[in-house]
Amino acid sequence: MSTRLSGRAAAPGAALAPAFVLAPPALPDLPETASGTPEEEIWRLRSALERAEAELRQLAETVTATAGEEEGEIFEAHAEFAADPELERLAAEAIEGGSSAERAVVDAFDSFRVLLVASDSEYLAARAADLDDVRDRVVKLLLGWSTVGEVPGSRSVIVAHELTPSQTASIPVDVIAGIATETGSPTSHAAILARALGVPAVVACPGLLEAARAGVGIAIDGRSGEVVVEPGPDERAAIQQRAAEEERRREELAAFRDEPGRTADGHRVELAANIGSIDHIPAALEAGGEGSGLVRTEFLFLDRTTAPTVEEQTSFYVEVLRSFPGHRVVFRTLDVGADKPLPFVEREPEENPALGLRGVRLSLRRPDLFRDQLRALLRAREAAGDEAGRLAIMFPLVSTAAELAAARDTLREVAAEERIGLDAVEVGVMVEVPSAALGASRLAANADFLSIGTNDLIQYLFAVDRLNGAVADLGDVLEPDVLGLIQRVVEAGHASRVWVGVCGEAAGDPTVAAALVGLGVDELSMTRTAIPEVKGALRRLTREACREAVLHAIATAADGGEARRILEERLEAGLRS
Amino acid sequence: MPEATVVLRNPTGLHARPAKVFAKAAAAARADVLVDKDGREVNAKSVLSVLTLDCHQGDEIVIRVSGDGAEQTLAELVSLVESGLGEGGGGG
Repeated sequence: MSTRLSGRAAAPGAALAPAFVLAPPALPDLPETASGTPEEEIWRLRSALERAEAELRQLAETVTATAGEEEGEIFEAHAEFAADPELERLAAEAIEGGSSAERAVVDAFDSFRVLLVASDSEYLAARAADLDDVRDRVVKLLLGWSTVGEVPGSRSVIVAHELTPSQTASIPVDVIAGIATETGSPTSHAAILARALGVPAVVACPGLLEAARAGVGIAIDGRSGEVVVEPGPDERAAIQQRAAEEERRREELAAFRDEPGRTADGHRVELAANIGSIDHIPAALEAGGEGSGLVRTEFLFLDRTTAPTVEEQTSFYVEVLRSFPGHRVVFRTLDVGADKPLPFVEREPEENPALGLRGVRLSLRRPDLFRDQLRALLRAREAAGDEAGRLAIMFPLVSTAAELAAARDTLREVAAEERIGLDAVEVGVMVEVPSAALGASRLAANADFLSIGTNDLIQYLFAVDRLNGAVADLGDVLEPDVLGLIQRVVEAGHASRVWVGVCGEAAGDPTVAAALVGLGVDELSMTRTAIPEVKGALRRLTREACREAVLHAIATAADGGEARRILEERLEAGLRS
Repeated sequence: MPEATVVLRNPTGLHARPAKVFAKAAAAARADVLVDKDGREVNAKSVLSVLTLDCHQGDEIVIRVSGDGAEQTLAELVSLVESGLGEGGGGG
């Protein structure tokens, strides 16, 4: 007899495999009173905490290497918990009062746990499980128990009350077919792990532990949240079909990972990754990113008291260029405003940083910083060699042709000082201010490319603060008038024979990407994880179909929602894989 | 005791990695550091205590420092929070 349950979808995919039920990590009765003197108990406490921290740091390293950085960070956080000074202080205080080290540690952890669980935040409540995991490790160490868990012998759906990071880290990833938990949330550990491994997960599934037994078949659908224990023949067939679909989809995406981005009729569209940190590069390459259309250089400048030297910047830029051989890499020059003050940039506080001294405006006022950055970029191009990616430089927040001319003059001066030719370096403008979009022809005449930053452009067009949730419903990139403006920018660029890209987050939405390609956009730069889906969608659509659909949307849609419906209806075959 | 009020700009507030960045910076100082949200004050060097404050983007926190190099520690922590705790405040 099959049992159908329903939980929350936490990681896409479908799986059918025997259940491997993890017993909840129960602790034995703890000694309440100390066996030794308070000094001895405190010494036991400290060495257990230290050892737990060391084990967790080791685990973090192993997990980072096998399951990825996001996973590894969980254990880094656990190590911080074990090393927490307040936790140690509370436990030591209890020991002074006569408690055993075991009891003192459990109570100290629980005092934090109560506060986390009481908060309204799903994120913090989910951290309670992390805390329990560390607590159990410390207690086991105090008791002299093994801290290694049980392991399934073959590919299984891991079933648990709530999966602790330690439990999952001890299971070899190749036997995990899927994960299902009785409690938890899409932000809890099991969900993060499943997404990192690319296996399905369902969480918050009441009745799961009562129904599931070790070795009995269990089917889970990580898109709908459906769980079937002991599925019948029809249910098995259905879930297997869904699993096959997911598998086909994944293979299809993997198959053209190294293929260039193009439409079904062969029209080339470069699909690049936005890079905000050196850590983003491996995932960008993994996703098949064709270079980067936006390297945010700010992070080199944030969190420090002095500006990075030319040498520091050069070595970083070289690393980025060398990561993308054969592709273009667009570096956006420093883009900070009064909302992200830098200790080495003295400035007046501003009422309205979004409209203040930021982007290229700041660079032109601080030629020392600007020239250092340009110098480092040019030196990096020389140092990286011809095999490396091609250097492109983009100026942010340009609002007039005069600003672009002044920025180009500075670049020419620096290049002359360095005796480096500029012929092979593309120089462009980030189009994100309405005046730049309206004056695109003037800018294109003095640039090698235009790249539309949709996030800021929309914020300025609609007068909407994009961090303010109260007005979040305003400013859809698919508003017919926004599409019309993008069309004008593309036409202005092409009239001057320069390429036009889009580097806002919107480019990662397949429907929006199709609309942009329909408008003639040559390059899309997006969050690295969005690249495979966008690449897949474009390869199923012809450029003409995209063009017709987007022009129809501009001509007839009343608003962004309707434009989206029109695009999805007309391009259905391509957008749904 | 030197103190300063700052507004959290970064998207995740004092959660996850930013909480760790903040507590680590506080722990590196010789001075005692307290952080206060809505009148609940905790040891800023303890990431667990900082997490329990449940601070979100846009929340106001008060940082209080006493002891060796208090002024300098305070200035550093304020600038760290204002710079987005390693997370920035947007872009693109």
